[in-house]
Amino acid sequence: MRYAVLVPEALVVALAVAVLLAGRFGWMPRTSRAYLPQVTALVVLVAFGIELWAGASVTTYFGGALIQDRFALFAKAAALLTAAIALAATDWAAEDSLHIGIAMPLLSAFGVMVAASAGDMLGLWAGLELAAAAAVVMVSLRRPDLALRLLLVGGVATGLILFGLAFLYATTGNSDLSAIRDVLANRAPTLALALPMLLLAAGLAVRAGIAPFHVAGLPAGAVAMVGGGAAALAVRSPRPRLAYLAVGQLGWVTAGLATHYRSGIAASLFLLGAFAIAATCGPALLGRAEGGEPAIAGLGAVRPVRAAGIGLAMLSLAGAPPLAGFFGELTVAAALAQSGNFVLLGLGLLGLVMSIAAVIGTLRVLSVMSIAAVIGTLRVLYIQSPLEEARRGAAAALPAVTGLSTAGAVAFCVVIAAYGVFGNPILGLADQGAEALGLR
Amino acid sequence: MIKQIAFFANLVTMFILFIAYNQFENFLPTMQYEEKIAWLPAIGVTYHLGVDGPGIAMLMLSGLVGIASVLASIGIRERVRTYFALLLLAQASVNGAIVARDMFVLILFWGASIVPIALLILGWGGPRRVGAAWRLVGYWGLGTAALAVGVLALYAVTGGRTFDMDTLLGTAQSPRIQIGVSIAMIVAGATRLPLFPLHGWLRDALAEAPVGVAVVVSGAASRLGAFLLLRVVIGAEPAAAHLLSPVLAALAALTVGYAALAAIRSVDIRHAGAYLAMVPGGITLLGLAAISPLGIAGSVLSLFTGGLAAALIAGVCATVSERAQTRSLLLLSGLAPRMPNIAWIFLLAAFALLGVPVFASFASEVMTFFGAFKTQPIGAFAVAIGLAITAVALAALLGRVLFGSPNSDAPGVSDAALGETWYLGILAGALLWIGLFPGGPKIPGTDTPLFDPGFVSQIAAGVSDITSNYTLPASAAPAAQ
Repeated sequence: MRYAVLVPEALVVALAVAVLLAGRFGWMPRTSRAYLPQVTALVVLVAFGIELWAGASVTTYFGGALIQDRFALFAKAAALLTAAIALAATDWAAEDSLHIGIAMPLLSAFGVMVAASAGDMLGLWAGLELAAAAAVVMVSLRRPDLALRLLLVGGVATGLILFGLAFLYATTGNSDLSAIRDVLANRAPTLALALPMLLLAAGLAVRAGIAPFHVAGLPAGAVAMVGGGAAALAVRSPRPRLAYLAVGQLGWVTAGLATHYRSGIAASLFLLGAFAIAATCGPALLGRAEGGEPAIAGLGAVRPVRAAGIGLAMLSLAGAPPLAGFFGELTVAAALAQSGNFVLLGLGLLGLVMSIAAVIGTLRVLSVMSIAAVIGTLRVLYIQSPLEEARRGAAAALPAVTGLSTAGAVAFCVVIAAYGVFGNPILGLADQGAEALGLR
Repeated sequence: MIKQIAFFANLVTMFILFIAYNQFENFLPTMQYEEKIAWLPAIGVTYHLGVDGPGIAMLMLSGLVGIASVLASIGIRERVRTYFALLLLAQASVNGAIVARDMFVLILFWGASIVPIALLILGWGGPRRVGAAWRLVGYWGLGTAALAVGVLALYAVTGGRTFDMDTLLGTAQSPRIQIGVSIAMIVAGATRLPLFPLHGWLRDALAEAPVGVAVVVSGAASRLGAFLLLRVVIGAEPAAAHLLSPVLAALAALTVGYAALAAIRSVDIRHAGAYLAMVPGGITLLGLAAISPLGIAGSVLSLFTGGLAAALIAGVCATVSERAQTRSLLLLSGLAPRMPNIAWIFLLAAFALLGVPVFASFASEVMTFFGAFKTQPIGAFAVAIGLAITAVALAALLGRVLFGSPNSDAPGVSDAALGETWYLGILAGALLWIGLFPGGPKIPGTDTPLFDPGFVSQIAAGVSDITSNYTLPASAAPAAQ
């Protein structure tokens, strides 16, 4: 029973390898196209169930290399649920290389799971790299040019993270994450510590795609929130808009992390769950809709469930009530207010409160900008009439309707809409996760 | 089919509301029909709902306006299902904001009405709908941001443990914090009600929106602004209310005066209707600025009557422009003989807006002005002048559109359809009913209410609690003798 916790990882990686090998050597029968996505989504859902059932035990494996704590449980559950919904919602009929398309999200999810439960630097780095590499392959299926760019940027990020980890190892003399944390907690900040931290943060920021790469906690969050909202308003095509909205919400996550308190980290995790689901499944639902607004014009009439999913993903990323993103963002705001109050009472740093208040103010305005951008897209989705079939190019081809994709889109809508209603258990788990990270 | 669903959903809601209104205990100062479930204990969010007297007044208003809005939308032809789904969503968010007893829930519902209403204007509105929707989103978004800032400030100073109004509004703050929070709340309320400097969304939104949406926005959604001011600024921040009441009175006077002058200068009947719909908000605000029990009681009643009157004037102007196939006041002239039903309702709407006796708005305006002349004489006088200009604007509008010389160049005209007569009739009828029976009809010869326990006495529940901060000097004086 002790190793039941590792079953989800094993299931995911075994399935990914099996699908890849079968695709490569032609073991798959022709008819497998019809049921492979269903089977994959089902297996991932089973893994999700096992994770929720068995993941509650707090243990370590392989001599401390893998740690199963509440944070790992939260991150793994979010990754598995996101992967299952994204796999179900994707339009597989238009996919040429099905086995790669199915295996890569699985490997990416596996990477996230490894990074989430990593006990030392090596596991963390390996997990992040696996997730990123699989993402590059996924992009290359559709847009080889973008994949090349992503590969280069990702290489830079890898280098930065690796340098940072190496510096950290040299400074603290430890590769164990909890030992490093203990060392860092009991030391005054010095240049020797600041340098690796800066490198790490820069690398992670490149990975996360935060607008400018200089992460300094609150300012970066504010810049990302402002930049994301404004940019989302400026662009018109659905896919970049989704991306900019995601950047804006990531800014909120950063702002929550910058509080350094458990409630703030918990709020950030809570928001991160909502963010991961919306930011991953939104593009999956969008499918191949390239080439600007006309591609999705009137999708609400011809593909209602898919259109509802796209709309909800955007609204949630923009932080519109009463969706998942709103609950996450307001929880972060509450945590900022809470920590501001703590500082006011404990340290009397009035300036910080004012800056936090300013951030909260900017945040809401930001979110408003984002909502304005989303309403533009919703108008296209629902209120414009669809293109005639003859004018639809290959880029704007309608996604096929299958039972699986409908179920995936419905599941997505339910998760996004009910995230706040069932916010208490999720936030409770996030809170325990923040505790597991060693925060008060 | 969806039209029937929307209509019966509203009818059943109204029926349940009527039962709640009948069962309402008007001698209890506390919240009634409370529900309280922990939601996000980690940050102190509870799903806490409840109503007091002003709350039940707002709910009855929202229920009546809901029925009227569905009846006004009978003529919608395209994308019917989406339209009514969005309309019901907008109504639900307004009702949620009324009954919220937790600030988090309030922000949730307050913000949730923006998206459906903006989409309704974008999808089914008039020729300038895009600008109208953007402005609505901008101003209401600003208001939601101000509300969030005020709430988070209160949350932080009360220790960051709970968003429950009982705690946030129940603990006394220092005057400095009260004023800061109150200013944020006034900004939030002013974008909704709307008040003079923040009214930019109103004209286009009400003029371009489909009729049913204009009714909901002017009748129920915008009254939330005054309701918020009543709850937070007047009800819980007495020091700030004392200090800021001249500002509120000035805002009220500016709003009424500006609306009346702008209505006179309009050349578009829907613009004129939109500006005239601003007037009741100014009167409600004057009652709040009076910070005397009589003025506040008047403003609670005027939440209800003002909402109905605003919805009536905005709705009737929209219906006239639809039936006469033009919005230009240069073309609309002498329509009374050809649309007798609308002409009657238009007259009733004008009387209701001005507070002519027999209408419930008369009672609310009398209470408001009697309350306000004592404490805010200059503001009350200015609002009275504004109301006089409003009368001039209405007289000019009615005289031209209904009783001018008929214009042979104008497009063809028809009278109101059944649905339109009914929706306008419900709004006007409710105002007349409460004007005629403010205490409810009694079984002849007894004091037993027949079926309506009396609107004015029901909504008074809880008002004494709100006004208790402002009665102390008056009640202390007799005790000292």
